[in-house]
Amino acid sequence: MIELSVARLNKRFGGNHVLKDVSFEIKGPEMIGLIGPNGAGKTTLTNVLDGAVKPNSGTVYLNGTRIDQLAPFQVANIGLGRTFQITRSFRRMTVLENLYVPALALGKSHRIAEIHERAMEVLEFLTMGHLRNEYARALSGGQQKLLELGRLLMLDPNIIILDEPFAGVHPRLLDIIYGYIRRVNENGTAIIIISHQMDSIFSLCKRLLVLNYGDLIADDTPDKVKADPVVIKAYLGTEEDYTGTGQSSEIQTDPSHG
Amino acid sequence: MGLAIVLFFMAFPFFYSAGNYDYVMHICIIGFFYAILASSWSMLAGYAGQFSFGHMAFMGLGAYTTALFCHYLFISPEPTGLCTEFAFGDYYLILKNPIGVTSTTLTQDCLSQAMDNWNGSVEVKPMPVWLGVMLGSLVGGIFGLLIGLLVLRLRAAYLALFTLGFSEILRATISAEIMITRGQAGIELPSLFENGITIFGHAFSKTDKIPPYFVMFFLLLGCLALMTWLSRSRFGLFVRALREDEDAAAALGVNTTRYKILVFVITSMMAATAGAVQAHYVTIVTPNNIMILQMSIVVAMAVIGGVENFVAAAIGAILIEFALEMLRTSFNIGGVEIDMTIWRLVFFGAVLMLTLRFARNGLLPPLIEYFTRGHVASETTAQRTVDDADTPSVRPVGGSE
Repeated sequence: MIELSVARLNKRFGGNHVLKDVSFEIKGPEMIGLIGPNGAGKTTLTNVLDGAVKPNSGTVYLNGTRIDQLAPFQVANIGLGRTFQITRSFRRMTVLENLYVPALALGKSHRIAEIHERAMEVLEFLTMGHLRNEYARALSGGQQKLLELGRLLMLDPNIIILDEPFAGVHPRLLDIIYGYIRRVNENGTAIIIISHQMDSIFSLCKRLLVLNYGDLIADDTPDKVKADPVVIKAYLGTEEDYTGTGQSSEIQTDPSHG
Repeated sequence: MGLAIVLFFMAFPFFYSAGNYDYVMHICIIGFFYAILASSWSMLAGYAGQFSFGHMAFMGLGAYTTALFCHYLFISPEPTGLCTEFAFGDYYLILKNPIGVTSTTLTQDCLSQAMDNWNGSVEVKPMPVWLGVMLGSLVGGIFGLLIGLLVLRLRAAYLALFTLGFSEILRATISAEIMITRGQAGIELPSLFENGITIFGHAFSKTDKIPPYFVMFFLLLGCLALMTWLSRSRFGLFVRALREDEDAAAALGVNTTRYKILVFVITSMMAATAGAVQAHYVTIVTPNNIMILQMSIVVAMAVIGGVENFVAAAIGAILIEFALEMLRTSFNIGGVEIDMTIWRLVFFGAVLMLTLRFARNGLLPPLIEYFTRGHVASETTAQRTVDDADTPSVRPVGGSE
């Protein structure tokens, strides 16, 4: 059973109050979208959950273990994995070596043959088997994103946070990423997706968290969030905000980039 | 290839006969010494991404530890009554009092006075050299641990400056503590084999080059073997991940603190051991051994050889040591005397600059890559062709279990 409990989380950077009493819970393998304008605190929240940043106050429990004061490697050991907004593959290591790192770090297996077999399965799943011996720096941006997702599969976590998994990805690779997300979720992993691509978020997630300058202003289903006037005002905007003429009939992607 | 190089150096002292035998063997020994330093620094900087400029300081710590140990501690069957001494069993551990650089004819140390009093009737034994070397290695490791802990949060230029500061502080302290370290005069040490050694029935004197040649060579082989094993283990994988992206490595479960400290301790111990052995080979150690110039030579050797490959760094160090010695010979061009004792360093600097500009990963790794990874590109292409033939469209969603 997956249970993440975030209670009254606060984080300040100098005078910038980035997270203000943020509280929410995740129970079971939910698929959650975390949205909000730039500077809303999404990445800071991810960094706090991952252990990279310590909160000023508040608590985070994962499956009954308090994790807000632990180091990132300890949080990963307890079962929370993440990707980064800007892809951070190990560029001067081969694709296979990139996948070996989490498997060996968490001691999932001590037999390299077993780890290799698992890594090859992951690469085949991501349609990257032929690239196994290439250095990660030789991959395209989209392939590096896939590699990051592959590393998370090797980690086998309870909860995954994907920070902008769709940004700058070719539509063909997007299909693979969608497939990855759905399959991992079906296998019992809770997933939090941070993205500005609303069509992707709305098609994948059954629950949305909306942050606005440190405040969690909504925690509901996509339909209710879309209709929430507070969210519309803070983030989604109205049709006129996009077209200026009311010509568009649906919410566009990436409304707040920049 | 590697085996051929090892066999060549194993046999070299026995077939070399082109003259200047002792000098050439000496260059080999110093080459091996620099190879240990350059390769261990490449493990620290090239593999783990920890650009420390304190490597020669660890070397100096090893050298000074064994120097002080062998200079101040002795074992005597009789108490001197003059020195600080500790009884153990039938013997006494004598701690000689420091007298700095004062002439022994004016102010003798307590042990010399006791020896005069005994008039040759008591035999005082020096401490074993191997114990001094082991202590040097241990002290290097302890300081590696401390520095590793102190620099945990430092990266790139900050780490380089911090370790440079540590190195200079150590050098200044050794220079200043004249009473204990004898300052710039340096401390003399017993030779590696002070009483000579007999190997396979052949007696070698303490000045023979073959015993120290093989001691340094086997130390180099030991260090390279250890680093090869480490680089192929999870340690090697994790420190490279650490170099690539510390935050990402931590997020994937790597205890980055542990591996950062471990790599400092291991490489510091290697440098300290090399320093201790080299000190016993040249039989004197001075603060100049820790000068920043020495560190820059090690860095340059590793960079020219190949900083991300410790074997390349070691080979680079040996080749450069030989090249620098060969370039000592001055020559005439159209009646103009070129003083190579000065110009050889210009040549060295130029090679370094050209390497950094045109072969950032060193001169040897492209060759090594050609032999070890030359097949990868064609394999990737061939495999992609097979995959494309097998997969008409986007592969269906696979399983994570």
